Amino acid sequence: MGEQILNQLVWPIIYILCIAVPLILAVAMFVYWERKVIGWMHVRMGPNKIGPLGLLQAFADVVKLLIKEVILPSSANRFLYYLAPLLALVPAFAAWAVIPFGERMVLSNANAGVLYLLAMTSLGVYGIILAGWASNSRYALLGAMRSAAQVISYELAMGLCLVCVLVLAGSLNLTDIVHAQAGGKGFLDWFWLPLLPVFVIYFISGVAETNRAPFDVAEGESEIVAGFHVEYSGSAFAIFFLAEYANMILVSFLASVLFLGGWLSPFQGWITADVSPWVNWIWTGGFIWLFIKAFLFAFMFLWFRASFPRYRYDQIMRLGWKVFIPIAIAWVLVAGCMKYFGWVSIGTGV
Amino acid sequence: MIDPNLFQLICFYAFGVVTVGAALAVITLKNSVHAVLALVLTFFSTACIWLLAEAEFLAIALIVVYVGAVMVLFLFVVMMLDIKQEQVREGFIRYLPVGIVVALVMLVEMLALIGVRAMQAIPMGANPAAAAGMSNTAWLGTALYTQYLLPFEIAALILTVGVVAAVALTLRQRADRRHESASQQVRVNARDRVRIVKMAAEQPARTTAQPQQPGDQEAKP
Amino acid sequence: MRHAEPKLPDRHPTVTDAPDGAEVRSIVLAEYWPVLLFIGVATGLGLVLLAIGMLVGPRRPEPEKLAPYECGFEAFEDARMRFDVRYYLLAILFIIFDLEIAFLFPWAVVFEKIGMVALIEMALFLLLLVIGFAYVWKKGALEWE
Repeated sequence: MGEQILNQLVWPIIYILCIAVPLILAVAMFVYWERKVIGWMHVRMGPNKIGPLGLLQAFADVVKLLIKEVILPSSANRFLYYLAPLLALVPAFAAWAVIPFGERMVLSNANAGVLYLLAMTSLGVYGIILAGWASNSRYALLGAMRSAAQVISYELAMGLCLVCVLVLAGSLNLTDIVHAQAGGKGFLDWFWLPLLPVFVIYFISGVAETNRAPFDVAEGESEIVAGFHVEYSGSAFAIFFLAEYANMILVSFLASVLFLGGWLSPFQGWITADVSPWVNWIWTGGFIWLFIKAFLFAFMFLWFRASFPRYRYDQIMRLGWKVFIPIAIAWVLVAGCMKYFGWVSIGTGV
Repeated sequence: MIDPNLFQLICFYAFGVVTVGAALAVITLKNSVHAVLALVLTFFSTACIWLLAEAEFLAIALIVVYVGAVMVLFLFVVMMLDIKQEQVREGFIRYLPVGIVVALVMLVEMLALIGVRAMQAIPMGANPAAAAGMSNTAWLGTALYTQYLLPFEIAALILTVGVVAAVALTLRQRADRRHESASQQVRVNARDRVRIVKMAAEQPARTTAQPQQPGDQEAKP
Repeated sequence: MRHAEPKLPDRHPTVTDAPDGAEVRSIVLAEYWPVLLFIGVATGLGLVLLAIGMLVGPRRPEPEKLAPYECGFEAFEDARMRFDVRYYLLAILFIIFDLEIAFLFPWAVVFEKIGMVALIEMALFLLLLVIGFAYVWKKGALEWE
């Protein structure tokens, strides 16, 4: 009995904390990094007062948010008002259960992993809609409707991109998808090359899906102040913030796993030397490569934010429905032909 | 020491209780948004039961399609239609007899249809996908795209009709709509918008001359 | 993160041996149990954060502070208003296309084994999808002003 509880409950929860705690820390550091990078791009210093180089700024912000008052607006629906941040946070975290960090480094090697991810990302819209409605405020409701319509539009494009990956990989399992990208030509074997348009669409849809600049009309601080979470304060706001950044990091990891070979090394097959376990990962692959790739995508989020002016709402909807979805539908068939006629080489495992 | 089969049974009953409880909440809650959320919970726990029955693909597809898409529409509708709660309660009592009759007929039909077969079948029997040595999704796909090819294409046809019907029923063009065509904006030429005209330099007008017409000076390029 | 667990040669066995020798019905449950736990942990995290905020933070309600935010103006009326019908249309279109994507998932996994037939039937499916899509486009339902 004791051993069973240990195996079925204690160990899984420890593994879960091994993902969730670093994720929270990563969000904190990502917020710091965002302010620093955008500062540099604006020729400013960014945060530099708290801790060495301002490194403790994010933690100071967390403490500040937690000890602030959580305001419940008088006309709000109390139950839904507190439920909405939870509904935003849970899918953003639960999606991490199926991400493979390395060979056999995965919490749940579910067969329908990609479908599960699609399910989790589609649940994120509930937090947005409910927050907007429960606040009973004009700005919140307007932001929620804009955001919901935008998120569901780009989710279609994202789903079609996932189908393209599945067509080549032939499996819904994320570990299998990474294995299918292994080969002797290193980074030329990854799916970004045969699926180049889809790869671009996927990442841009990811930016739109997380409501980040230049697709952040839902926040639109010059018109509707902060969008769906305008009435939230203190820790309730912190949860929305955490969910948004966790989603950004999730999109970065997913783009790396689906299109850039996950933990595979870009030089795989080029070098076969056996030097030492400390150096071998550079060409045999390891979770460090996944983190490097995800970091690059996460950096792109910030780069976009500092570079592009905000889209107009009709332009956003046009891009999603009239550009991305038709291209993605066409590429599903192109990918089918590629696979069927053997135009691309698909790895079968390491 | 818990027997895995017993554990599965416990899970089944736990999810079953949640499903039934949430379904009851859907029809009893006064706030329609709460009712929609209860329906979401119903779908979610149903998906968990399907997972127990090892219908992996269907369980998650249920969440994607029903929770992720259909319920979002429900939420849009009940939130924005702003239904007054008192009216709903009146209707509840008025339509109760009709509702009971419909429910009874459905119950009898379902019992007749599946009850007899269910008597003989083993609940949550052996997983045919595992027996065939492939994942649930692959097994389902193989069946769907070979054996049930025609129903699949008919489903596609029905979905297309659904798209057309949705647009035909709901789309009302407003007379005052102003639409900007992005492709026109991109294709526009600088020459179409701005005309640069060469002209001789002019002396500024004397300040003493005709001070009563100040707009005159501004009109000059 | 699960380390050093021997990878099973057949990933979908009907019966696997649990560590204590008991018979576990299927790997499906073994894989989705941690997922359910993760959902539980995430919910717990959210609740803890909310609880900290409510316990540690001050609570000094004031009618002005609790009023809905409208840039300092008095709120006109209840904010729940009717929305343009195009939002509903968008949601309906989303349902239909989402369903079609759900159909594509199993196809993507098996089409190579089935062969040319599967490719052609999916081309037909997508053709129908595109016809519907073209109709929506032509009618101007995708245009926002």
